[in-house]
Formats: sequence, C-alpha cells, structure tokens
Amino acid sequence: MKKIQSIKLLSKTTLFYLIFTFLAFFLSAVFLTNEAEEFINDELEHRFNHTERKIRRQLKTDRYPDRMPETVELSELANIDSSAQIPLYSDTLIFNADLEEMQLYRKKTIEFEEKGHFYKLSVSKSLEDFYRLKDDIFGALIPAFIILALAIILFNSLLSGTLFKPFNKILSQMRTYKVGSETGVKQVTTSTSEFKKMQQLFHEMLDRIEKDYRNLKEYTENMAHEIQTPLTVIRNKTENLIADEAVMEKHASTVKTIYDETNHISKLGNTLNLLTKIENQEFSQTERITTRQVIEKHLESISELARLKSLKIEKQLSDQHVLNIDPFLLDIVIKNLLRNALHYASQDGPIKIKTTAERFILSNYGQPLEQGVDRLFERFFRENGTQTSQGLGLSLVKKICDLNRLTISYAHKDNQHIFTIAKSDEDLNPDIS
Amino acid sequence: MKLLIVEDNRHLADDITRFLVDSGFVVEQALTLSEGLKKINVYQYDLVIVDIGLPDGNGLDIVKEIRKKKIASAILIVTAKNAIEDKVHGLELGADDYITKPFHKAELNARIRSILRRNKFDGNNILNMNEIKMDTMAAQTFVHNKPIILTRKEYDLLLYFMVNRNKVLTKESIAEHLWGDHVDQADSFDFIYNHIKNLRKKIMNAGGKDYIKSMYGMGYKFSE
Repeated sequence: MKKIQSIKLLSKTTLFYLIFTFLAFFLSAVFLTNEAEEFINDELEHRFNHTERKIRRQLKTDRYPDRMPETVELSELANIDSSAQIPLYSDTLIFNADLEEMQLYRKKTIEFEEKGHFYKLSVSKSLEDFYRLKDDIFGALIPAFIILALAIILFNSLLSGTLFKPFNKILSQMRTYKVGSETGVKQVTTSTSEFKKMQQLFHEMLDRIEKDYRNLKEYTENMAHEIQTPLTVIRNKTENLIADEAVMEKHASTVKTIYDETNHISKLGNTLNLLTKIENQEFSQTERITTRQVIEKHLESISELARLKSLKIEKQLSDQHVLNIDPFLLDIVIKNLLRNALHYASQDGPIKIKTTAERFILSNYGQPLEQGVDRLFERFFRENGTQTSQGLGLSLVKKICDLNRLTISYAHKDNQHIFTIAKSDEDLNPDIS
Repeated sequence: MKLLIVEDNRHLADDITRFLVDSGFVVEQALTLSEGLKKINVYQYDLVIVDIGLPDGNGLDIVKEIRKKKIASAILIVTAKNAIEDKVHGLELGADDYITKPFHKAELNARIRSILRRNKFDGNNILNMNEIKMDTMAAQTFVHNKPIILTRKEYDLLLYFMVNRNKVLTKESIAEHLWGDHVDQADSFDFIYNHIKNLRKKIMNAGGKDYIKSMYGMGYKFSE
C-alpha cells in the first residue's frame, strides 16, 4: 500500500481556506485593476478631448494661439500624412521640474485640418495620479489578504484547542482502552454532533467487544477449570487401576493409554488457557527485570538434567539485559526455551546462553529442521510429528514476545539451533495525536 | 491426624478421602462452602484442603474464616493451574501451600505431610521404614542407623516414596514432583530410571533391602 502522508484535519481545512481566499483576492485584484484601467482611459480621453476642443476653438478664431500650456505642442503641417496611425497614443516619462522627478505622461497626437491649414497636435497628460490609484488598490489588497490569512491561522489553531478537545479526549480513550479492564469509559461532553455520533458508536462498539470478551473469557475459564476436575477424577481412577495388579496383568496397555491421554488433555487445556490469558493481556504486572538472576535460577533447576544428558551449558550473562515484562511471563519464556534446548540438544557441543544489553541468545547443537522453519512458532507444529511434546511451547514464547515488544527469531547455523530475542527498535505503538 | 476436604466433586472427594485414609489420616468431607464453614467452626482439624472454585462461593472465604477466628488449622488450597492471582491471594490470606488441579494423590499426600511437618515440631520429622530412617529436619537418611549420602533429587525421591509407601507412583507423578514443568516429561522418564537405579544401589550397599518395585513400566511402588 502506498503510504499517504497524513495532515491534521484542521491544517488541511486551513490550507484550503487560505488557497481559496488567495484566489478570491487575486481575482478581485485583477477585476479592480481592469476597472481602474478603463476608468483612467475614459478620464484621459475626456481630458484630451477637452484640450483638443479648446485648441480648435482658438484656431478658429485666432488662427494660431500664442499662449499654449506646457503640455501641448502644436505645429502646422504642409500636408496630412494619411498613412500615420491617427490618433497616436504613447506613454512617456517627462521630467517634472517642480517635483524634481520623472513622471509618467500619456501623449496623444492627432492631425487635423482647420480653415484650410493642417495641424499636428500633441497633448500630454500626467498619469501619475491615476497610476497611484491603481497601485493603491494592490497596496490595500495585499495587507488585507495577509491580515485575513493570519487571522484564519490564528483562529484555527485556537479552535483546535477547544473545538477538537472532545475529539482528542475520545481518541486518547480509544488508545488507552484495555479490553476486560472493567474500568469503563467516561462520557466526554461535547455539543458537536459528529463527535457525539463517534462517541456513541465507540461506546456501542466497546459494549459489544466487552460482551464478546466476557463470553469468551468465561468459556475458556470454565473450560479450563471445569474440565480439570473430571480429568483429575479420571486420572485418579486410572491410578487406582494401575495399583490393581489383577487389572494390570490383563489391561496394562489400555490403562496406560487412558492415563497418558488424560494427562495430555489436561496439559493441553492448561496451556491453551494460559495462551488465552496471555492474549487477553491478563498478565500485566510489568516490572523492570534484570534477567541475569532469573536465567541463573532456571539454569540451576535444569542443571541436573543437563548433567544426566551429558550436556554442557555455557553461560555468558550480562547485567545490562533488562526487560520490562511480567515476571511470570518471563519465567514461561525462559523455561520453555531452555526445556526446548534441553530436549533437542545433541551432544556435539554445549548449550550456549548469552545475554547482551539488547539481546538474549540461546543455542544448542542439532540437525537442521527437516520442515517448516517458518512454521516453528505456530501452534501444534511438531518437528517430525513428535507426539511427546504438546507443540505449544514455542507459540507461547512467541505470543509473550509479541505482546512485550520483543522480537524472537530462529536460525540454524554451524549445526546449531539459535533462538534470539531482541528488543524491538521500532515503536510499534506510535502516538496517534 | 484429622483432615477436612472441601471439594464439590464427590468422586474426587471420595477418591482423595480413600487415599488419605489409606495413608493413615482421619478424613472428613464438605461438598460446599457453607458446609465447610460450618465444620471448621465446630470441629478441630489439623489441616483443611480447600478447592477455590466451589459452587456456592470462593474457597478463599474458608481461609479468611480460619485466620480470622485464629483456628489452629493448616490450610492447603487447590487452584486451577495458571490462576496465579488465586495462588498469590490465597498465600497472602494465610494458606500454607497450594496445589494445582489436576494433582496426583501422592503429590497431595506429600504436600500434606510436608505442611504438617513444618507446623509441628513434636518429633514427627522422623520417617521410618524398617531399616531406613529419614530425618526431614536435618535432611539426612540412615540405613541401619548409618547415614548414607544422597543427592538432592535422590533424597526428594526417597522421601516421596516414604510418605507414599505401598502406593503406586506413576512416572508422571514422580517427574512432576521432582522437576515441576521444567522438563519435557518424555526426557524426565529416563532420568527417573537413573535416579532409582542409583538410589537402590546406595540403599543396598548400606545393607538395606530393595523396596522399590517397577509396576508394568508405568511407575514404581515402595513396599515391603
């Protein structure tokens, strides 16, 4: 799946809002400047016409005006060049002596005939004031846009605190909620209908989950407990038969089968129940544990068996190996892995157990697995279908590792089975907010 | 020695009762919590065995009652396996030990003896069987009054046999008693054979008789 970068809803709406506002401002600026341009052209034309009429009037009466404004040039022509573009407009810069600066003017040049004489008339009008007006439009719109944008951003960031408070509260409830904790979830007060709806659905969902969870829990607990009493009865009765020599002489193998299978069911029930309890995270008395002592305690209890099997155990334990885990679960992990190593180890070399600040490594010599390395941690997987083991030990270990942010891996190298438990580096539970 | 069993399953209660009576105890039964509470308030028991899961309530109530009224009874609680909260809670309330279902009767017997030995110091920490004598206080074993050196596991094994004499002890029961669930049972069976071989040798070398009989490959019996 392609990863899509996530943006906060509020940032998103703010961004869209800003884009639209910017477009609106831009369009109105374009519109206003067009309007201004038209207005300027109209106004200038009007002024040109006014001056032109005045000159023509003077020409009619005086033949040639002696007094002319600075901005008007009049010359008599011998003939009219009909090919010239008439009237001709051009924008030029003219030095204004009063203000001591160059100013923008528009010059209109026309040629006309008056009383049989041909004249060329150029009238210049200052554009400065008009263009100042046009600039003013931009000058007003840009700060207005900036102020509005800042207001939107500020307003939204303030809103995210208050408006999204219930939303974030509900989110944090979702994050911290633990099925079966029976603490319940507090109602978050909100007047936002979307949040109300979300909260309502969240609560309904929780109720359903809790109900299912309780049913399942009750079922497994009842199963585990209620099944044990009849099994104890069967086993005890079978033991009575074992003690009865007359029965055993005839039915030894039948009795043995009943006895073995009863034991098997009993253990299976216990382990499955334990798996369920671990999955339900019922063991959450997490402590910071330096594993050294725990491992040494377990090594002590298997040392005798190792001796009987002529297996050497080499240990190299670090005080830096510290785990955050329920001590009961840590016991299960170490017990199962050691039991496994002891059961499958060959006498080609020692069982090695090593811890570093980050890792726990346990290895024993033995032929490579014939099948399903990838299925090693699955429930009821047994190498070569050995019936002597339950096939649950490693899946139990895996489950515990998964729930405690530990990564267990298996490898076969140099004729050794190697199990490694590493602390997970990646944060499996990223902050939602 | 008088014991009370509070257990709702009649088959189980009867079976345990028969076994314990065989082992020399006086045993009474209570099938419900209320019956159990009534009995502990009327009679005096050396030890009460309580199943936590009773039909009419939690067996821990009996532990509470005994400790509250300062009744001089030892308590052994029976819990489902993995119910560590029950175990911890029960021991906190003042139970002397716990055993998890399904348990072996021999194991139950051994636990009962161990609690009674711990609680009373009137000389019953000596176990005798003809020429064999075990002092559980000093953890010493004697054959014809001469000490013999046993390993820890051999000692535990002999003690298990001594408190469960004339009973068939299955290999499963012995394995669980000696190693708990630290070992695959299939592995441990070989070791049991090994331990028994050594134990026999040590006792016979000291002039003792061989009391350990193999039973159809399923277990052993310690008897004359």
